[in-house]
Amino acid sequence: MKIENTKAQMRKGVLEYCILSVLKDEDAYVAEILDTLKDAKLLVVEGTIYPLLTRLKNAGLLNYRWEESTSGPPRKYYGLTETGKLFLNELNTTWSELQNAVNLVTRKKSTKK
Amino acid sequence: MNKTVNINLAGIFFHIDEDAYQKLQRYLEAIKRSFTDSQGRSEIISDIEARIAELFSERVKHDKQVIGNKEVDEVISIMGQPEDYLVDDEIFEDEPQPAPKRKTSPSKKLFRDTDNSYIGGVASGLGHYLGIDSVWIRLIWLLLVIGSGGTFILIYVLFWILVPEARTTAEKLTMTGEPVNISNIEKKIKDGFDTVSDTVSDVAKNVTDSFSGAAKNVSNAAKNVDFKKQSSNIKSSSKTFFDTIGDLIMLLFTVFAKFIGVILMITGAIALIALIVGLFSLGVTNIVHIPGLDLVDIANVGNTPIWLVSLLTFFLVGIPFFFLFYLGLKILVNNLKSIGNIAKFTLLGVWILSIIGLVIVGIRQASEHAFNEHVVEKQEFYMAPADTLKIKMVNNDSYGSSYRNNSSFKFARNENGERVIFSSDIKIIVKSTTDSLATISIEKSADGSDYSSAIERAKNIRYNYAFKTNEILLDNYLTTEAKNKFSDQEVAVILYLPEGIIANFNHNTRSFLNYRTYNGNIVSSSDSDHFLKIIEDDVECLDCPEIDVSIEGEKDGIKINNDGIEVKVDSSSLKINNKGLKATSPEVKVNIDNNGINIKSDTK
Repeated sequence: MKIENTKAQMRKGVLEYCILSVLKDEDAYVAEILDTLKDAKLLVVEGTIYPLLTRLKNAGLLNYRWEESTSGPPRKYYGLTETGKLFLNELNTTWSELQNAVNLVTRKKSTKK
Repeated sequence: MNKTVNINLAGIFFHIDEDAYQKLQRYLEAIKRSFTDSQGRSEIISDIEARIAELFSERVKHDKQVIGNKEVDEVISIMGQPEDYLVDDEIFEDEPQPAPKRKTSPSKKLFRDTDNSYIGGVASGLGHYLGIDSVWIRLIWLLLVIGSGGTFILIYVLFWILVPEARTTAEKLTMTGEPVNISNIEKKIKDGFDTVSDTVSDVAKNVTDSFSGAAKNVSNAAKNVDFKKQSSNIKSSSKTFFDTIGDLIMLLFTVFAKFIGVILMITGAIALIALIVGLFSLGVTNIVHIPGLDLVDIANVGNTPIWLVSLLTFFLVGIPFFFLFYLGLKILVNNLKSIGNIAKFTLLGVWILSIIGLVIVGIRQASEHAFNEHVVEKQEFYMAPADTLKIKMVNNDSYGSSYRNNSSFKFARNENGERVIFSSDIKIIVKSTTDSLATISIEKSADGSDYSSAIERAKNIRYNYAFKTNEILLDNYLTTEAKNKFSDQEVAVILYLPEGIIANFNHNTRSFLNYRTYNGNIVSSSDSDHFLKIIEDDVECLDCPEIDVSIEGEKDGIKINNDGIEVKVDSSSLKINNKGLKATSPEVKVNIDNNGINIKSDTK
């Protein structure tokens, strides 16, 4: 069992939730999403995000539009669909539940020690 | 100094160093391989390309700047190694995949394992593929090679040529059936290549186990918190149900296809082996001279070299079987090396040439039979009327002792030690003549490609007869020198016998006489062994039994005589004669005569 693997898997697990959260208020293109996630240290390399975005888009949670860019190729601006918003709301509840649960469990453990 | 390449990345134009370009290409290739089509590979790749283009444009300050290794390395470190792209599907699977699907071992492919090879690594490769220790495969190979007299070596060579060698780490992993992912590859490289083949499967398995273990933990956690929606559950479970059925059908098809593949491969292999054995033995005997084989040589009037004919036949039959074998193997093992278009077309060409060649040989052979000519020798001899002439066949022990007419030919050495062909294709024809002298006429005939060669062949037929007092001795064989080849050589002995004499054909002439008489032949096989008086265009049998079959006399039985046929059993009888037909039984009477048909029945 390698700690890196576990860490990576943990991160990947919440990544979908985080991507949806980034897009909650306003549409963004990939580089912007990446910046947010990288700042939060959720993402080490950029490659991980592409399959996830395609996946979320195919599931109907995201849609995108093309926008011309002055400095490079046209950009894909992603936004949440209605389903995506519902999905995100549900994930929010789940997340807070999970957070509480994890906190509870880890705190118990630490107090026991 | 470096060569540069121009590339178009997501619609943007870049100058890039050649080695940097190759690195980038390898990188994109590696990423492409880590996705499947169902994940939306092309879309992901174009997104990634667009992002790379963006990153490049940030680094290019002016138009003439060239992207080098440094930029590519930077971009790769930002984007991450191919394994970072791998989305572990287990995390995102709404439902755990059906168990059998997960249990199916990762698809193995057949490679030659040159790390553990004795010769070409075929056996150890097959061992990996079939999941058997290569020792057993080697043993089976050895037995097959010994059992088939060495010809199975050919099949080994075919495998050697057609099965690719496992060169890259990925191929080596596929060969042993380990899933190819970056960690496995990395592991394998780290472990070094000398002892790798022994340890890699264990290590790789451990890594995979730990990896999937972790993944499972996370996915279980995720499942507990996530996706409680019933609808999606139902949707996905029905989907997996149909997926399972689909998989099952695909599995059946695969099994069926593999079965066909095995049959094709075995057929092809056996036919090839048989052909090679045939070609080999023909080739050897052509040089060493095995007696039976001269027959082929003798029949070969066209003088076409035997080795050419056998080689053409070998190609004609062997090439289709080779393709059959190849097809079978290809169905069985899906990563076979292609034999290449050049090889394919060469084989096709050789095949067509062999057809043409054989057709030409066939025409040549046939043209040797275009003309049938004969030469005639006549001799007269005196016969006193009322003398009895005996006609008898004599044989020569060198050419067998049977007195049968046979148009086939055999090969022998005559008393002078010459190689000769002999045949017993002799016909005896008997005609009547009003002349007082009897005449014997020997008609020799043979086929040839033209008039003169046919005549020449006919002249070269040796046939002897002897005339003693009132006795004609005919050879029952004809011979000709081997160099003349066999080309339908025949001898017809025509006897002109004066009317009034008595002829007696020995019973050994039976097979050489025609089985029936016709205009121009007055003695048939059934007349042999009888004393025959020659009359005008016919013979009179002096000692033949009268054709008057009478069984059991006047009471029950069958009577056949000049009057007609009469059958009598108890009180029933059947009579056919010149008056008509009369059938009588206690209850029914049938009468056909010049009064008409009369049927009477006594009903009790």
